Amino acid sequence: MATNISFLLNGDKISYEIKDHWTLLHLLREEMGLIGTKEGCGNGECGACTVIVDKLAINSCLYLAIDADEKIIETIEGLASTDGTLHPLQQSFVDNGGIQCGFCSPGMIMSSKALLDENPKAGHEEIKHALAGNICRCTGYVQILDSVEAARDKGGQNE
Amino acid sequence: MRLPKFNYLGPKTLDEALDLLDTYKDDAKILAGGTDLLVRMKKGLLKPKVLISLKALNELSYIKKQSGFIKIGARTPLADIIDSDLIQKEAKALFQACKKIGAISIQHFRGTIGGNILQDNRCHHYNQSDFHRSGRQACHKDGGKICYAREEADRCNSTCQSDGATALMALGADITLVSKSNERTIDLADFYTTDGIMPHACESNELLKEIIIPVFGAHSSYQRLAYRSAIDYPIVCAGVLLKPSLKNEIAEARIVVGAMGRSPLFLAQISSSLKGKKLNDTIAFKKAADASMDSSATFAVHNVGATLEYRCSMVSQMVFQALEQTAETIKA
Repeated sequence: MATNISFLLNGDKISYEIKDHWTLLHLLREEMGLIGTKEGCGNGECGACTVIVDKLAINSCLYLAIDADEKIIETIEGLASTDGTLHPLQQSFVDNGGIQCGFCSPGMIMSSKALLDENPKAGHEEIKHALAGNICRCTGYVQILDSVEAARDKGGQNE
Repeated sequence: MRLPKFNYLGPKTLDEALDLLDTYKDDAKILAGGTDLLVRMKKGLLKPKVLISLKALNELSYIKKQSGFIKIGARTPLADIIDSDLIQKEAKALFQACKKIGAISIQHFRGTIGGNILQDNRCHHYNQSDFHRSGRQACHKDGGKICYAREEADRCNSTCQSDGATALMALGADITLVSKSNERTIDLADFYTTDGIMPHACESNELLKEIIIPVFGAHSSYQRLAYRSAIDYPIVCAGVLLKPSLKNEIAEARIVVGAMGRSPLFLAQISSSLKGKKLNDTIAFKKAADASMDSSATFAVHNVGATLEYRCSMVSQMVFQALEQTAETIKA
């Protein structure tokens, strides 16, 4: 069955005809071509597909597209400005070596953004808790946590 | 991974949902958060024709205290339970259990307490992709006649790994199930069939409506062991409830061991052996913990990760820690 939904994606009003069995991840990647959001496990275990819906980080692989109707959705594509300036969190991941292969980064950054938007002064433990659902298979988590902390310390400003 | 095709129905009221459920019965599945259901569907373990979404049914999302009972709507998100002062104070085991379920992205939005209780049993031979399962004979749970977890087993040995169910059973919770023509409240312990294939005594036209926890001056604790701190099922867990008497002795005890059997195991005899014991009687706690290990070990099979030996010996640790922690809370 096809249904028409409309939602706000990275600030743009979108209207789309979707099938009932599509996940939000499928809609973003396969249909709209926004391949910044990654599919890792597809089971809600790895967090690579994290996007922000109504200010909360969710796993888009377990979120039906039909449930996105009337929601405000943010993906990694919406973070950098149109002139190419990176979002402070993205810049911080680059500066602090929080990226190796980059596959987990969109999810890590979206989970961190949801946290820092809600609590700009989040402590080390809160950051660890917020990122507990995101897996990195390259190296480790120290640089990633450092990156988030550095972005927090700059208070959302690029240097 | 793609979802198989289905039709999505979004009833606006509970009555409408029950009507739909009565019409479609086995062809329908209830979609609350979907964090368990959608994964099963992706793996081809379930192929419902319709999903009945509870999204619009805000009437099923509440936490309230009413004449000596805490009542929780089945669709209440895990995050609401974690944030509730009432649950933290009066039903600590449930608070501790919900904190361990999933990660923020699961708790905050998708996961619900009803869904956590109603999650199907798991087994790492069964919870695999279509492709994996297509390469060998079907097991009992898959409609076949063999068990990969225990040789020569004549039945399914899948394990109930619900954090919420173990904690709620320790708290002595009841649940209310509704259908179009009926409403019944049963003890959560009676809700389990000990059948690995159909673990819950829930009719195809019934919907879990409410969880009812009695509040009677008891304290509780929940302990679990898992590989990962987030997004992982427990390989062993224990929920404990102790009610102190005026003389600071144990007036009532409930010990429940989870992730070891086909349902959470309420160990009635061991629990009552603690009656009359002092709250600082560590030796009695140790004895009860070891007895819990012996009792639950008979149910466990090697099917959820870690070795069986390790899981069995950790039962004793989990029960002991939960008992100690509950006693500490009472003393404080």
